[in-house]
Amino acid sequence: MSLAVEVAGIRFKNPLIAASGTFGYGVEYEGILDLSLLGGIVSKGLYMEPREGCPTPRIAETPSGLLNAIGLQGIGIRAFVRDVLPRLARHDTVLLVNICGDTVEEYAEVARVCEEATGIAGLEVNISCPNVEKGGLAFGGDPRMTYEVVAAVRRATRLPVIPKLSPNVADIAVFARAAEEAGADALSCINTLVGLAIDVETRRPRLAFGTGGLSGPAIRPIAVRMAWQAARAVRIPVMGIGGISSASDALEFLIAGCRAVQIGTANFVDVGVYERILADLGAYLERHRLSGINEVVGTLEYPGLPRLCDSEVYR
Amino acid sequence: MTGMAVNRIVPLVAREALGDPYALLTFRHRETAREGRAGQFVMIKAGLSAEPPLRRPFSILSTDPTAETFTLLVKAIGPGSGALCGLEPTALAQCLGPLGRPFTTPPAEEEALLVAGGYGIAPFRLFVEQLLREDRPPRVFYGGRTRADLPLLDRFPPVVAELFPATEDGSLGRRGRVTERVEEWLDSHRVPARLYACGPEAMLQAVARLAEERDLPAEVSLDPWMGCGVGTCLGCVVSIQGAEEERAHYRCACTEGPVFDAARVVWPGESASRAWRAAVSHRPAGAPA
Repeated sequence: MSLAVEVAGIRFKNPLIAASGTFGYGVEYEGILDLSLLGGIVSKGLYMEPREGCPTPRIAETPSGLLNAIGLQGIGIRAFVRDVLPRLARHDTVLLVNICGDTVEEYAEVARVCEEATGIAGLEVNISCPNVEKGGLAFGGDPRMTYEVVAAVRRATRLPVIPKLSPNVADIAVFARAAEEAGADALSCINTLVGLAIDVETRRPRLAFGTGGLSGPAIRPIAVRMAWQAARAVRIPVMGIGGISSASDALEFLIAGCRAVQIGTANFVDVGVYERILADLGAYLERHRLSGINEVVGTLEYPGLPRLCDSEVYR
Repeated sequence: MTGMAVNRIVPLVAREALGDPYALLTFRHRETAREGRAGQFVMIKAGLSAEPPLRRPFSILSTDPTAETFTLLVKAIGPGSGALCGLEPTALAQCLGPLGRPFTTPPAEEEALLVAGGYGIAPFRLFVEQLLREDRPPRVFYGGRTRADLPLLDRFPPVVAELFPATEDGSLGRRGRVTERVEEWLDSHRVPARLYACGPEAMLQAVARLAEERDLPAEVSLDPWMGCGVGTCLGCVVSIQGAEEERAHYRCACTEGPVFDAARVVWPGESASRAWRAAVSHRPAGAPA
């Protein structure tokens, strides 16, 4: 029975990957969690330079969800390569770096630094952070800009390029195709949904930034729908993200057509989440008499639509 | 940081209601019981369900290494703390701990003055025990708006050298703010002292101001909203500025705190830390930062 998957030419020992912004740089969990349990880790978003991020308060709990406006606080790509990469090398897991930029050129520049480093398996391109003034959603909310950023990163590196798409658009398929045409190797779907929580006593937003990005179980049905739409729109693989905290949650994305999934907010809630999901995925495969997790991918029986797993791309 | 934090599903061993909305909750968790230090905390959530999503940080009130249990003082103020207070013995909780940096032991020549506001008393029970073991009986200044805000008052007298309760409405102890009692003590005892504070932010800021006026060291336990407890969500950051830092930086209260040197905190409404201002005032004019 195999849990191994392949996305963008990268082999992951299992389909569970820690989502960017919810797992720090990975090393924070050393000693608390066996990092080699994870299929992979996506680093916190990194620019060329360190960033201070948004003022506080930055997080607010909402029904089944977490609203955040962290604003990509980070140590910068050079410090990451110098200080963190060597420590991560000790763990048997795949590392993807989430790259950010205020400009198209900055994305390419961060990509070039990653290209020269050892131990980075691929790049997730952050064009969907809702909590920064420049870059982020400004690029991910316009298909031409999406194309331009992804193409620039593509030119800058031979590493697999995986844009992370925003759900804050009318039709994610348009963005998925723009990214694919620009040379993306895979897609991450989805980032957080823009939300607003208000303190009725003070009549102010509960977050200092104002709006924030909503994550957690509250967004899962939306995320499954959008990952499914993206997977149907392109030939490249999709990684599903959004409110996963159980094997059944992960299976929804896989059945919808995702080759792997990322676990986000659940990292904050339960560091035992990987161990639990892996055990339950194994039990699911056994119960359904399947020999590998890939046999689940794209098997959604949707009224009136052919199964994705029957298309030549999935064979 | 001391011992490594361990994540476990733990049973509630005992619950003692202290009068609404406070309860003492005892859980079995070996590492927190053995390694937990005064000022450290656990991230904990009642039950195994999805709601409410996040764990909550609570200071470790006391530990029993032999029984492998620790106790929390919980004030039921929302869905997370409410669910914890509603747990029955043997019910389960998800617990990660011990976390964060503890209070430091005062140097031999300094008196330890512990300043607590309301349920900010929580980390000081363990600290008092620790200081008594070292034969360093502290002074505990314990304040709140009213009598009901001082849930653990009756648990302290037997073990404390001196306890100075205060309430703003005079319903218990002296009428007035707890920091006024600290000032009185400092006025009548001209000795080196170190302030330790945990409570509402306004009280912590008042303690920091008092420490600055009297040129005393102070440690404060900060309590921002926390997401993860291990430094990855960056939700609990506070503005910290060391003497050598030209500008403040956001630092995680969960991993670099929750106990901070009050002089390094940039308090609300202030533009720089006391540590930086002091360093600048001692620097010769024109010298580089």
